[in-house]
Amino acid sequence: MANADTILIVGAGPAGLEAARTVAELGKKAILVEAKADLGGTPYASYATLTPDLKETEASMKHMLDAVQQNPAVDVRVNTRIVKSEGALGAFRVSLSQESKETVEEVGAIVVATGFQHFDPGRETQMYGYYEYDDVITLVDAEKMFKEGKVVRPSTQEPPEKVAFIQCVGSRDRQIGNKYCSKVCCGIASKQSIEIKRMLPNSKVFIFYIDMRMYGFWEDQIYWKAQEEYKVNYIRGIVTEIIKKGDKLLVKGEDTTMGRPMEVLMDLVILSVGMEPSKGTIEMSRIFQIPREEHGFLQVVGGPLDTVSTPVAGIFVAGAAAGPKDIEDSVSMGAAAAAKAVGVLNRSALHV
Amino acid sequence: MQKAKPIELDVAVVDGVELKGSWNRMFEPRAISEYDLSILDEITAIPGAESLGYCYQCGKCTGVCPVDTVGDYSPRKIFRRTQLGISLMDSPDLWLCTTCRNCLRVCPKEVNMIDIMPAVRERAVLEGNAPEELLQAFENTARYGNPIGEPGRKRAEWTKSAGVSVPIMSQKKSPVDVLWFVECYPSYHPRGKQASTALARVFDSLHVDFGILGNEEKCSGDSQRMAGEHGLFEMLAEHNIKMLSKYSFNQIVVTDPHAYNAFLHEYPKYGGEYVVQHYTQYLSQRLPDMSFTHDIPYRVTFHDPCYLGRHNGEYDAPRQLLKALPGVDLVEMGHCRETSYCCGGGGGGMWLDSFTRDYASERLSERRVKEAVEYGADILAVSCPYEVPRFEDAVKSTGNAGKLAVMDITELLAYAMGLVDSLVMAN
Repeated sequence: MANADTILIVGAGPAGLEAARTVAELGKKAILVEAKADLGGTPYASYATLTPDLKETEASMKHMLDAVQQNPAVDVRVNTRIVKSEGALGAFRVSLSQESKETVEEVGAIVVATGFQHFDPGRETQMYGYYEYDDVITLVDAEKMFKEGKVVRPSTQEPPEKVAFIQCVGSRDRQIGNKYCSKVCCGIASKQSIEIKRMLPNSKVFIFYIDMRMYGFWEDQIYWKAQEEYKVNYIRGIVTEIIKKGDKLLVKGEDTTMGRPMEVLMDLVILSVGMEPSKGTIEMSRIFQIPREEHGFLQVVGGPLDTVSTPVAGIFVAGAAAGPKDIEDSVSMGAAAAAKAVGVLNRSALHV
Repeated sequence: MQKAKPIELDVAVVDGVELKGSWNRMFEPRAISEYDLSILDEITAIPGAESLGYCYQCGKCTGVCPVDTVGDYSPRKIFRRTQLGISLMDSPDLWLCTTCRNCLRVCPKEVNMIDIMPAVRERAVLEGNAPEELLQAFENTARYGNPIGEPGRKRAEWTKSAGVSVPIMSQKKSPVDVLWFVECYPSYHPRGKQASTALARVFDSLHVDFGILGNEEKCSGDSQRMAGEHGLFEMLAEHNIKMLSKYSFNQIVVTDPHAYNAFLHEYPKYGGEYVVQHYTQYLSQRLPDMSFTHDIPYRVTFHDPCYLGRHNGEYDAPRQLLKALPGVDLVEMGHCRETSYCCGGGGGGMWLDSFTRDYASERLSERRVKEAVEYGADILAVSCPYEVPRFEDAVKSTGNAGKLAVMDITELLAYAMGLVDSLVMAN
């Protein structure tokens, strides 16, 4: 029963890394498969710092990468994709493709941690002119600049005087088809606003929002901190559209606490793009036959009481593949999915 | 019930000319075209006013701000207007706050108008940018030691007709147990003097070993401080502390909750540390020594003064006194204790009635009087010297003359103890 001692983990972001580490710590073997060349997932690839503590991503996550790379019980395969899966709990046969070499691995259980992708603000509607105006960027584009230690208007390479964040881009929108809140964007925008004010203390930073959703400790750790210490301006009322005016952007919407229309000029607009299931997540749904719930993410069976078990016996999900999650959620789910995967293998071993 | 309307639909009559609401758009562009943050930066840079920038627009303050019930004003709105670049220094908003502390009681972000208002107003006063009538009250206080403008040498004149001996410290030349800090309205205002007479007689009948500063006393200055005249407050505090230092006493009893606030929290900063009680606190401890001879067969309600209640947490002492009065049926108004309305006199409001009239549909005192009438009270009992004149005016202006009498608790006590001849009822 060698295969029943091995758990396949798909995706090496925070959830997958924590799942692999936990599997190893519980005395089983892990195969950690990552389609990209690097471990660390979306935070590592796209975020200069983490929310809510504003610490540098690479330094913060290094111990998670070390824990799998230096562990003989974890077989790390980068540049590797899943192409096929057969069998069932206790005896899955999964075909992996690494640089066009195909291998088949026998594993007892599977954890899918293939995460999310950022909403493409050019999709369906062009109201914010993301592909038209150089100075309309996303949270991810901003993080790229932060990694280089700067924040500039792409059109001029000059520092902006006025910066606007627009919340809920691609989230909470029936027309777009995403009825859910992406959960982390309010926090990330607030985090970025602090970083912009640190780099450009004289800049004016605005966050246009429908509701600020700063649950738990994020409320005072980022939201209050941004407002009280960094004088970030939170304006209730979302931006409807952006119009080019000279070399600036005219941001139009309603200032709802004043009950008046608003048309203000900005130098840089940052779109707080939400989460959608990644291509990998959709692909895993197909290959492993995991149903997707109504918002398109991988389905779990236990509602709020079991966040990691999918309807397929022996297959678990962790992180944003199951819906919008912050890093805390993802890491917790990674450990929970690993523990349940080990548990189900232990039980099936007893019955053999 | 008045529903909110878009300004375009408001019809205004200006100097007798009826203006259609659509004109409003010509005077005020609908769209906000700039958030000029320089004003917010300027205001929140003033020491004490930092927390104005903390507002996250929940609107809890608006729900309890007494001024918003009569006008378009609340701390939340002040923050937003300032964030839009409207100058708070030049806005009537700066002078409408009565520092009643109801907003701070409910504010989740601790936006502290009790610190913000005096700090910003001080800046405006230094720039000479304050309402004329307020400046007049400041000038009177500086010149005469009281905001009313009465001669300082007549401050103790009320004692001559008090009917009992009211010892003045400079003449008494011996230590006393209680130094009674009388304050301005109780020394000069006709109704204030009646309450002072009543309190003097209660003290006398309880054999309180007491004295007053007489003409050596000046205004405690707390409301002038809240209205933005910090320099004047310091001058008054130093004067009063100096006068008090000449005499020996065990404790201070104050008539005025505003003076209570100053003695409790501000005078210690200038070296004036005393045991201080509001008169209701002192007298409630002396209840066992009081004997009552006259019934007060009326329905009485009590208005909590902002500076005794919300500012300093004393709600029970006045009620203990009222409950002890024979015959009194004490009823509580809906807004009582910490949810009490404000009479409109605090934070300089006492000297801004003409100014405020232009921005309010009615006076705060009028709202309060209407509530007292609604609860069927015959007597509105008070324990702050600002309140008797304010509420008596409001009784008349709301058409309730003859229905509601306004009395200081000391007046009720003195009557029940048989120390004054009659209770001046409304009817």
